[in-house]
Amino acid sequence: MREKSFVIWLLLIALLLLLVINPLARLLWASFEHPETGAFTLANYAAAYGRWRHVEALINSLVIGLAVAALCTVFGVPMAWAVSRTDMPGKGLVWAAVLGTFIMPNYLGAVAWILMAGPNAGWLNRVYTAITAAEAGPFNVYSKTGLVLVIACYSFPYMFVFTRSALDLISSEMEDAASTLGAGALRTTLRVTLPLALPAILGAFIVEFLESIALFGAPALIALPARFQVMTTTLWQMFEFPPRVQEAAAYAMPLLLITVFLFWLQYRVIARKGYVALTGKGGERRLVRLGPWRWALLAYCLFVTSLSFFMPMLVVLQAAFARAWGRGFSWDNVTLRNLRFVLFDQTATRAATMNTFVYAAAASVIALTLALAIAYIVARRLVPLGRALTYVAMAPFVIPGIVLAIGFYAAYTTKPLVLYGTAWILILAFATRFLPIAYTNSDAALRSINPELEDAARILGAGRLLSLRRIVAPLLKRGLAGAFILVFIPATRELSSAIFLYTTGTQVLSVLLFDKSDEGNFEILASIGLVLVIVTVALVMIGFRLVGRDFMLRRQSTAVNA
Amino acid sequence: MARLAALVLTLTLALLGSTAALAFDGEPALYEAAKKEKEFTWYTAHYNSETAVAICQGFEKKYPGVKCNHIRTTAQVAYQRLAQDQKAGIAQCSVISSTDQSHYTKMKQDGWLLPYKPKNLSELVDAFRSFNDPDGLFTATAAGLVLLTYNTSVVSPAEAPRKWTDLADPKWKNKVSIGHPGFSGYVGTWVVQMKKLYGWDYFKKLELNKPRIGRSINDTVTMLNAKESIVAAGPSATTLESRAKGNPVAVVYPEDGAVLMVSASGILKNAPAPNAGRLFIEYLLSREGNEVMVAQYQDPVNKSVKPMAGGKSIAEIKTIRPTAVEIETGIPEVKELFRETFGI
Repeated sequence: MREKSFVIWLLLIALLLLLVINPLARLLWASFEHPETGAFTLANYAAAYGRWRHVEALINSLVIGLAVAALCTVFGVPMAWAVSRTDMPGKGLVWAAVLGTFIMPNYLGAVAWILMAGPNAGWLNRVYTAITAAEAGPFNVYSKTGLVLVIACYSFPYMFVFTRSALDLISSEMEDAASTLGAGALRTTLRVTLPLALPAILGAFIVEFLESIALFGAPALIALPARFQVMTTTLWQMFEFPPRVQEAAAYAMPLLLITVFLFWLQYRVIARKGYVALTGKGGERRLVRLGPWRWALLAYCLFVTSLSFFMPMLVVLQAAFARAWGRGFSWDNVTLRNLRFVLFDQTATRAATMNTFVYAAAASVIALTLALAIAYIVARRLVPLGRALTYVAMAPFVIPGIVLAIGFYAAYTTKPLVLYGTAWILILAFATRFLPIAYTNSDAALRSINPELEDAARILGAGRLLSLRRIVAPLLKRGLAGAFILVFIPATRELSSAIFLYTTGTQVLSVLLFDKSDEGNFEILASIGLVLVIVTVALVMIGFRLVGRDFMLRRQSTAVNA
Repeated sequence: MARLAALVLTLTLALLGSTAALAFDGEPALYEAAKKEKEFTWYTAHYNSETAVAICQGFEKKYPGVKCNHIRTTAQVAYQRLAQDQKAGIAQCSVISSTDQSHYTKMKQDGWLLPYKPKNLSELVDAFRSFNDPDGLFTATAAGLVLLTYNTSVVSPAEAPRKWTDLADPKWKNKVSIGHPGFSGYVGTWVVQMKKLYGWDYFKKLELNKPRIGRSINDTVTMLNAKESIVAAGPSATTLESRAKGNPVAVVYPEDGAVLMVSASGILKNAPAPNAGRLFIEYLLSREGNEVMVAQYQDPVNKSVKPMAGGKSIAEIKTIRPTAVEIETGIPEVKELFRETFGI
């Protein structure tokens, strides 16, 4: 059993401890530390939870998180099914729009939504009142419902991608068995196909929930004018002058318990059944023929992506090319001045663009390598107490970026390891922050591979590393390419940890954008947002090319062959 | 002959004026020392990033060989970063420009600042002198106004509010925009001043109009442009800049006084480039520096520089402001009151 791979596992676990445990331990320590004397105290918890306002903000966050996760399921699962398993037309367009949505930072989308659904002058309300002659429109982005919608718009792509990659792996033989026994297409889908994708959907549900309670950008823009607080805006207040880091640490702690509980729940649900769906490269996958319903499904997909991408993008484009966006659409209002300023006059943007993508790529590689190794260790039970590693790998997700950044700061500004002031602190913070996405993906991908495939190789004399390279890696290739993109994209727009860890020379675009969001200069904000979206789209497209047609177009080519 | 004399006089005055602006005592030596340091970093919350970029570019043009790096954030974040640096013993920032008065008191207490009395101090608008630290630890380098703003496509100049109390007029119900004192130093000062003028009752009445509350004072500009709100308590610079682009917004100098915000800059004791820092403070007070600010719609702090077209000079209008002590004790207090009244 002991072989050279064992040393590698131990090294990787050490890295995980460095990235996750050390910053979190510092935070835990701080939560019990008296701000002045450093003595042990529970006063931070009393201060953090002694006020109804703080408790209420936490409740708001939990309710919003649940609602967002539910709405993401409603948005993402039908779309994933449509793209993966049906003969719906326009799949390329839908996939591109989902990708665009995923690339768009939520704070940029939130600004666009304020313009679309502002209660007094939002475009949607103006259209509504023009048509119905009503006094006021029904849309109000400044509400809890509004915030849920906006967050769901920018996080449902996780649900889409997780579900889609699971559905892509399910062979039609399973469905055939159901239809042989007399089940219709709908019944087969609901009783066979979707349940097989349940681990992925559940994983995505948890990710959506955690992502939305840890979000800062969109709530800062919407919750405040809507007159309610969420956890992250409350945390922000604790960093007001004079900052109360210890109280913030205490306030963030119970979230860790929630994370542990959620994953325990997922484990219980999944553990009852076997979900091994991929037993080899065999297994035919055919598309469900929907007849006229395929157009209804396309309409639904376009409706969702209009909310999340097409309409907000229109708002951003108008502002980016406007002399004065307050004047609305007209030809004499069009200018390239804003883009020129962003691309050429403001040297900061160029440097930040470069930093953004280099850091995001480096962070993705680190997170993915680590996540895959941990998932493998857990799935194949290579070390004792492997399951605990799952919690460690997932923990960063529930730590709001601001708090994670403070933990990183506390851990890596003092000897023995000084990273502050270098690009590494940003790269490692990004890698840590998105480790859970990398982990959930790697875990789901590994779970779907039957260990018997490896066992076969090992019986034939291959070592663990060889069988990993020759058997597991090729099977995982597609899933990992997807996982890379899923980490890379949020890393390009990561704000909350970057804002505390960047220094001169390590600025990223998200920080520039956030500064713009409270500067009242929407033309420039939209231009930087546009640069971010366009460059990311271009890079992701190049990425697809490198991975091969297989990754994106397999469905269509199958349809053609069939 | 008289015309010739007048011409000579004008020319002489212009020459005198420009030489006075171009050089100060010991400038060449300071410039040489700064050049040896090559570059410096400036944490600033005084302006938006375009202005910070323009000021750095102006400085580099005037003093080639000294690079100006800036990190522009809100005041709270700027201070938080500096505190992180200090705690970790990292010397990165040479000049700090916060808009929160209490930061300077705390930095002074904690001994973070390096005393420096700028040679260009004589150029500073007289009214701003009282904001300078008596021990020379910080100097006023930026000014701005909080005033009444409105969307001109919906509100005519005749209808526009004239006094602060007009914002509570029921005709603006659901149409008023303000910032949040928990986020913005400008808003905090404005709230302290309103409370001083009209008591907390002012905000209770304002709440009946259900104002839309953003974070920064500049959020009001976005709200007006979107027509989501049509009147606001907004900033002079960003509103006038937006207006100059052609956006339908305008400012009103309130009859009961525009709230004057004066913000200081200081040099850090552990500055990696203290001489570049000193040179930069001189630049912020200089005529050239202020001309750059004015081109970005900021109010000048140099008394010989005229404000931008469309805006009035601070000397021409009625301004009001709380004292430094009132701001420092008042802001934490009004933050709590604000949260009570507005629920956030």
